[in-house]
Amino acid sequence: MASPNRNARSAVVTGRLLGVAFLVCFGTGVYSHLLQQPLPGMRFPTQPAQLYQFTQGLHITAGIAIIPLLLAKLNAVIPALVQVPPVRGVLHLLERVSIAVLVSAAIVQVVTGLLNTYQWYPWPFPFKQVHNALAYVIIGSLVVHIGVKLRIIARYWRARDSYDEHGRFVVDTEVGSELVPETRSVPGATEYPRGLTGRLLRWVDGAPTAGAPESSPERAPELAPADAEPRPGGHDSPSGTRTMSGQPSLGEREAAPAGDEVAARDGHRQTVARRGFVAGVTAATVGVVALTAGQSSVLAEPFNVFGPRQRHRGPNDLPVNRTARAAGVLATATAADWVLTVAGPAVTRTFSRAELVALGTAEARLPIACVEGWSQTASWKGVRMRDLLAAVQAEPGSRVRVTSLERHGGYRVMDMGPEYAEDPTTLIALELNGATLDLDHGFPARVIAPGRPGVLQTKWIEKIEVIV
Amino acid sequence: MRAARIVLVVVGVLVMAFGAYVLVTTVRPVRIWGLATWLLGAVVLHDAVLSPFVVGVGMLLRRAGRALRAWVLVVVQSAIVLGAVLALVVVPEIAAKDHGQKNPTVLPFDYGTRLLVVEGVLLAVVVVVLIVGVRSARKRPAALVEPTTNR
Repeated sequence: MASPNRNARSAVVTGRLLGVAFLVCFGTGVYSHLLQQPLPGMRFPTQPAQLYQFTQGLHITAGIAIIPLLLAKLNAVIPALVQVPPVRGVLHLLERVSIAVLVSAAIVQVVTGLLNTYQWYPWPFPFKQVHNALAYVIIGSLVVHIGVKLRIIARYWRARDSYDEHGRFVVDTEVGSELVPETRSVPGATEYPRGLTGRLLRWVDGAPTAGAPESSPERAPELAPADAEPRPGGHDSPSGTRTMSGQPSLGEREAAPAGDEVAARDGHRQTVARRGFVAGVTAATVGVVALTAGQSSVLAEPFNVFGPRQRHRGPNDLPVNRTARAAGVLATATAADWVLTVAGPAVTRTFSRAELVALGTAEARLPIACVEGWSQTASWKGVRMRDLLAAVQAEPGSRVRVTSLERHGGYRVMDMGPEYAEDPTTLIALELNGATLDLDHGFPARVIAPGRPGVLQTKWIEKIEVIV
Repeated sequence: MRAARIVLVVVGVLVMAFGAYVLVTTVRPVRIWGLATWLLGAVVLHDAVLSPFVVGVGMLLRRAGRALRAWVLVVVQSAIVLGAVLALVVVPEIAAKDHGQKNPTVLPFDYGTRLLVVEGVLLAVVVVVLIVGVRSARKRPAALVEPTTNR
C-alpha cells in the first residue's frame, strides 16, 4: 500500500484536476438544466449559435475525463481508506461519512452519465432528476471536503513545498494528513509487518525472507540490497514507528554517514515513480477523451474509435435520437391532410406543407446538439418563426408553445422564450442538408433554434401557440 | 484559515442539503430507495472490489518493475492504465449495444472488435518495450532502477 504516489501531494494534484472537472461538469450541467427548465423570467443567449454545442460537448468530455482522474485520486488516497483507527471521534466520523457520500455519489454520477450517452438505463430511478440532484450533493460534499482538508491542500499546493532538494516527498504531520508514508527503516527490509502481509511485501520488494530481519532494525546502508526502499527520515527512527519529522533531509543527512547518497537515490526513485504516475494518468485521460470526443468535436473526429455516435451517419447525413416509429407518428406525420396550426392572440391560421414550402426560403446553418453529447452542424431551410408569428399578428417579443404529433414523451410540448422566437435563424425547418426533411428528423416540419438542446428542437410539429 | 474552513464546510453542507431537497421533491420515494441501493453499491464496489484490485495490480507491477528500467516501467504502466480505463468505458458500451440500439445511428460501431484491436495495439507496445528494455539492460546490467512504484 505504501507507494511514492500515495501521499498528500498526489492527493492535492489529482484532487485539483478532479475539482476543476467537477466544476466544469456542474456549470455546464446547470446551464443545460436551466435551458430545459428555465426559472421564471429567464432569458438565454442565442448567439453564438454553437454555445450549447460547446457547453454540452465540454460537459460530456469533462465527464469522461473524470473517470481516469477519479481512479487516480482514489488510488492516491487508498491508505486513508484503511487507516487505523478507522474512526477517531465524532468529527472524524462525520468527515469520513462526507467522503463516503462524495465517493459514492461521484461513482454513481459518472457511471449513469456514461451509460446515458449510450442511451442505456439499467437502473431503478429516473436519470435526469437524479443526475441533477446528485450534482448538488457532489459539489456540496466537495466543498465540505476542501474545507476539511484546507490546511493540507495549502501545505502541498506547490511542488516546491512538497519535495526536498532530492525530490523526496516532505512529510508534514502538522497539517493532519492521513497519507503519511510508512517509514521503514533505511535501508533493507527491516520493518515489514509480521505474518502474511509482511511476507507478501517482502516478495514484492524481493527482500530476503530468511533470517527474519525484524531483529536487525539498524542495518548499515552499505549492506542494503540495491532494491531496498529507503524512506525519508526513517534511518534514525526506531523500528516500527511512523516518523513524524517535518525536515527529513537535514536531520537524516547529519545522522547517516552515507545519507546523501541514500537520499539522492530515494529522491530519484520517488521522482521516477511520480513521473510514471503522471504519465499513466495523462495517457489514460488523453486516450479516453481522444477516442470518444469525435462525436462532438471536429478536431477529434478522425480518432472517433469508441464514440457512441458518428457524425454524418444517419438520414439527411445526420444522426437520429428518436425515430418516427419510436415516437408513434408514422401515420400522423405522413398523413396527406397534415396542417400546421399557428394560433395568435386574435388570429389563428393553418398552413399545409405546400404553403409552408412556398413561404420557406430562409436558410440557416445551425448545430443539433444533444444532451448526450453528440453534435453536428447542418444546413436547414424553412420558414422563420417570427414570420409565421407576424402572419397571425402576434406582438413582437411573444412567448410560444410548440406541440408535436407525438402522443407521449416528456418533450411533446415545448415552450420557447421570445429571444428564440424573434431570432432570424429560428426556423420551422422543412429541408435538411439540401433534401426534404427525413421522417426521422421531423417531417413534415420541425423547429430548429440557435443554442438550444436537441430535445427542445421539436420534431413532427402540429401546433404553434402564442402564450402570454 | 479557520474561518475559511468553517465557511466552506457550512456552505458545502447547505449545498448538499439543497441536493437532497431537489432529490426528494423530484423523485418518488420508491425510486429514491432504488438510488440508495446504487449509492451503497458504489461504496461496496469501490471498497471491496476496485481498491483491492488496484492494490494487487500495483504490487504485481512493483514486483515486476524491480528488474526494469525506469522508462520501460513508465511505458508499461501507462499502457496498462490506459487499457484498463478504456475497458471500463467501452465494455458497458458493448453491453449497451447488446441490450439493443434505439436506432442504427446510436452506437453504430462494432465496439467489441475495436476494443480488442486497441488493447492488442497496447499489448504489442508493452511487449516491444519489454523486449527492448530487457535487451538494453543486458548490455548495461549495472544501470537497473530500484522498484519504483506500485502505481
